[in-house]
Amino acid sequence: MTLTADGKTAAKDSTLVERWLEDQREWQRTAMAYLDSMVKNEDFLVHLGNAMRGSLLAGKPYPAAPPAGQPAVQEAPVDNRVDQVLFALHQIQGQLTDLRMAFDELRNRGKASSSAMPATRPKAKATKRTRTKRPTTGAARKAKPRPGRTRRG
Amino acid sequence: MTPEEEERELEALLELSRRGRARLDRLHEVLTSPGHYGTGATPSAVVYRENKLRLLRLLDGHGQPRSGPPVLFVPAPVSRYFIIDLLPGRSFAGHVAAAGFDVFVIDFGTPTSEDRYADLAYYVDGLIRRSVRVVSQLTGQPAINVIGYCLGGTLSLLYAALYPETVARLVLLTTMVDGDVEGGIAWVAHRMGLAGESYDTPRLVPAGEVKSWFEMLAPGSNSLIGRVTDLWERLDDPAARLRDVRTMATWVDDVVPAPGRLLAELYQKFGPGRNGLMTGRVQIGDTMVELAAVQMPVLSVSAEKDLIAPPEGVDAITKIVPHAEVLRLPGGHVGIVAGRTAASLWQRTVEFLATSRGGAHGT
Repeated sequence: MTLTADGKTAAKDSTLVERWLEDQREWQRTAMAYLDSMVKNEDFLVHLGNAMRGSLLAGKPYPAAPPAGQPAVQEAPVDNRVDQVLFALHQIQGQLTDLRMAFDELRNRGKASSSAMPATRPKAKATKRTRTKRPTTGAARKAKPRPGRTRRG
Repeated sequence: MTPEEEERELEALLELSRRGRARLDRLHEVLTSPGHYGTGATPSAVVYRENKLRLLRLLDGHGQPRSGPPVLFVPAPVSRYFIIDLLPGRSFAGHVAAAGFDVFVIDFGTPTSEDRYADLAYYVDGLIRRSVRVVSQLTGQPAINVIGYCLGGTLSLLYAALYPETVARLVLLTTMVDGDVEGGIAWVAHRMGLAGESYDTPRLVPAGEVKSWFEMLAPGSNSLIGRVTDLWERLDDPAARLRDVRTMATWVDDVVPAPGRLLAELYQKFGPGRNGLMTGRVQIGDTMVELAAVQMPVLSVSAEKDLIAPPEGVDAITKIVPHAEVLRLPGGHVGIVAGRTAASLWQRTVEFLATSRGGAHGT
């Protein structure tokens, strides 16, 4: 008894020609499945291309390596200044986040110290205490020498 | 040839045809079925975004964050983050979370053209510092546990030296500190032209070029015929197993472009012949970092068969951080973190982190 790819069994007494014909039909089904996926699924072609390079990488084409002995071709940036400005904006975004987090931390400490005060203590004093605390913004942290790092110059 | 011999030969051809078709059917099934291809295996929520970075917080089975001590995973920025959260049952981050820790994972994302200007200071004193700060704010813990993998370990070590009071415990996985130890990715990159990368006029180093450095480490892996033959043979495996293989292949082959300024700085400061980490002092931006400030408990893990970060170069951490506990595990660079024998590393890491609970550095 011969087991076909889809689990069906072929009769033991089927002739070689019959089994060869059945095999051809199975190949047609396989080819149709591939063609169907190529038409319906755009990613499938990328994945198939990767498989033809021996990789099961999903989601993107296999990274192309530069030819042996040759440096990679450098894609010329459209404009260095545009990228520099964009990256500077990312850095500014980070610094603004630092400030916001420092503000949140100060506010939370203020709340914590207020709630830790005895009930009889006037609220105004608690606020004043908070204000006298050491600033913890990124800029202030950097300005103060810390264990483990020293400023140059 | 007798009729019987002819029939036997045709039968053999038919069998060959059947096997080839079965492999192609299996390949089709794998290529069209969903899986954990680059998404991470454990449910998570994005708790912070900056530039391409996403900070993920792993969630429990009810979609809630855990309440245990916080742990931050810092992967290498030149590869995808999900190697530490690969598959259900094969997730380092998932294992640590299941042990009761509140786990956060940095996904540095894929750099684009403007990110070629990103340097060490941007990563260490910017992205990582703010990620730690977010974790501290969300958990209410002033000091958190940090686990750095590969280059992510280098960045974590520098961060821990800059802000030691914010790190309770530090785990460094296959983190090269002695750049003079021959071998590994730094030497390959050195031979392939990394010395030519410019700090002042950096480029975005294409993913294919970074990938070619890794391929040079494993002779044969960059041979097209070898790779195709290997995949063709693998297609006899069950589809479920192939889906797991595909997840790993997606990590291995999905190298991201690298910021040229970062690579130039790493090479100029820590590369072969420079070896700045071993001096114990490193300039990050305008700050001189003293590695002697790393006083929190440190676990450094190397892999016996590591082709990317040779174990001798990893274990040298004891020369600059003498109290560091060194652990060398059998396996390779990726295998000890996400391979079939990775559970020993995961468990040892959990034990190391758990001993800090309630201690001087406890979180």
